[in-house]
Amino acid sequence: MQTEQLTSKDELEYYLVVHPLDDVPEQKLKSDHLAPMEMTSSVRWSLVALRLYLILMMGLFMYHVCDLAGQVVMKR
Amino acid sequence: MNQGAENGAIDRFQDPPRGIRVKSPWLRNLLTFFMVLGPGLIVMEADNDAGAVSTYTQAGGQYGLHLLWLMFLLLPVCYFIQEMVVRLGIATGKGHAAMIYERFGKWWGRFSLFDLLLVNFLTLVTEFAAISLATQQMGINPYFSVPIAAVLLVCHVLSGSYKRWERITCILCLLDITWFVMACFSHPSPSSVLGYAFVPNVPPGGITPNLVFVVIAIVGTTIAPWQLFFQQSCVADKRLRFADLKWARLDTLFGACFTVMVAGAMIIVGNVSHQHGLTYEDPAKMADAILPFTNGFVRNAILLMFCNAAVLGTTAISLSSAWAWSETRGWKHSLSMSFKDAPGFYSIYGICTLLAASIVLIPGAPLQLIILGVQVLAGIILPSAIIFLQLLLNDHKLLGDRWVNRRWNNVVNWTIIVVLFALSLILAAQVMVPSLFPSNS
Repeated sequence: MQTEQLTSKDELEYYLVVHPLDDVPEQKLKSDHLAPMEMTSSVRWSLVALRLYLILMMGLFMYHVCDLAGQVVMKR
Repeated sequence: MNQGAENGAIDRFQDPPRGIRVKSPWLRNLLTFFMVLGPGLIVMEADNDAGAVSTYTQAGGQYGLHLLWLMFLLLPVCYFIQEMVVRLGIATGKGHAAMIYERFGKWWGRFSLFDLLLVNFLTLVTEFAAISLATQQMGINPYFSVPIAAVLLVCHVLSGSYKRWERITCILCLLDITWFVMACFSHPSPSSVLGYAFVPNVPPGGITPNLVFVVIAIVGTTIAPWQLFFQQSCVADKRLRFADLKWARLDTLFGACFTVMVAGAMIIVGNVSHQHGLTYEDPAKMADAILPFTNGFVRNAILLMFCNAAVLGTTAISLSSAWAWSETRGWKHSLSMSFKDAPGFYSIYGICTLLAASIVLIPGAPLQLIILGVQVLAGIILPSAIIFLQLLLNDHKLLGDRWVNRRWNNVVNWTIIVVLFALSLILAAQVMVPSLFPSNS
């Protein structure tokens, strides 16, 4: 918590605002012990869609390279 | 699940941390916001880099104010994507590249990292090309200005203080207010600006391939792949706490609003060129071309802000590469560390920056090919990076019920992802197979 309601001797209330870098480090959610993400249907379909997209992009790229190579040959 | 992980058992009353004491809750909130402010503003504003200045001024130069409404539409898109990154960064305290490695395995991890580093490096070259272009227009030799800029950018991160880096970078971001002044000097009609900003419309001439290209370029410029990696790593480096989430969201929203307004101002400045029938080439040439219709201040400010955009883009993009690489290699990676403590992290930053600057100085370097490469690679990496982000934010084992996406989050985000996939595909097809599309009008 970056702010804390404190009470001094004369009962005067104040808040302590601390910069994150000056604060005591917080314990975050641990992920080191977890196995890789479970392949639920939504995860599987998302990754399949991503693979198809990447294959399509590679296909476009190869076409572009062949097209450029063809233009170079034609110029010669 | 990591229930209760935020109960970090911090007994701070025994050894209270340094801080500022305030009496008013209102002042406490304001101070907390200013302390958290930074990653959101920087990631959004750095996205208005040299390429963005070119795209937005080109949109104004070719289509006047007709595409202003797109910026209004892109505001929630920017925010929702980056908000997920903030949540993931605060919850795990780790960067995006590290999370992809951990949760999707080495293959997808290496793919994302390689793609990110490549597209980032090519983008850096375009940033230095912009510095070269703008300084040349100001009468400064690029062989002097580009190396100086590169060295200053390396020195900027080497202080070993995150806070110092953030303050200086935030000041550079806020310098973009100058675009508002320039927009005022271009004397647009307020009613026209408001009308075009909030009412979607198609420019005269209808939907042409060139219009489609400019629209996709605007979308691609507004949401870049490196932003996901940068903000999550930045949030982790700043060690934002669970309680900072609402302020980090506000920071991101503030950054998104500011960035979109600055982008709108760039379109308004570009509109001067359109109003007087000038042919748009690039921002530096536009600055000279519109001089007779504005004043010397606008001309010089465009050139300086073009440089500022490139500087902001360079520092953020180089850092996203350095953070991503170091996270996956297990190296120490923090702006709060000195070079001695994190040599690998700073070396990656320095190598990326200096190498990109030196490529620009090579006579006859294939800059057009590099720009094309950036467009294609960004089209490949953006949808994949967002897919991983969306899947990570639905990972109950990792995040527990508190931090995962809500149903409405998923509806909004999947819609954004599908649209981005389609736009990226069209852009890539247009760049790589132009024969599929009718010639530009």
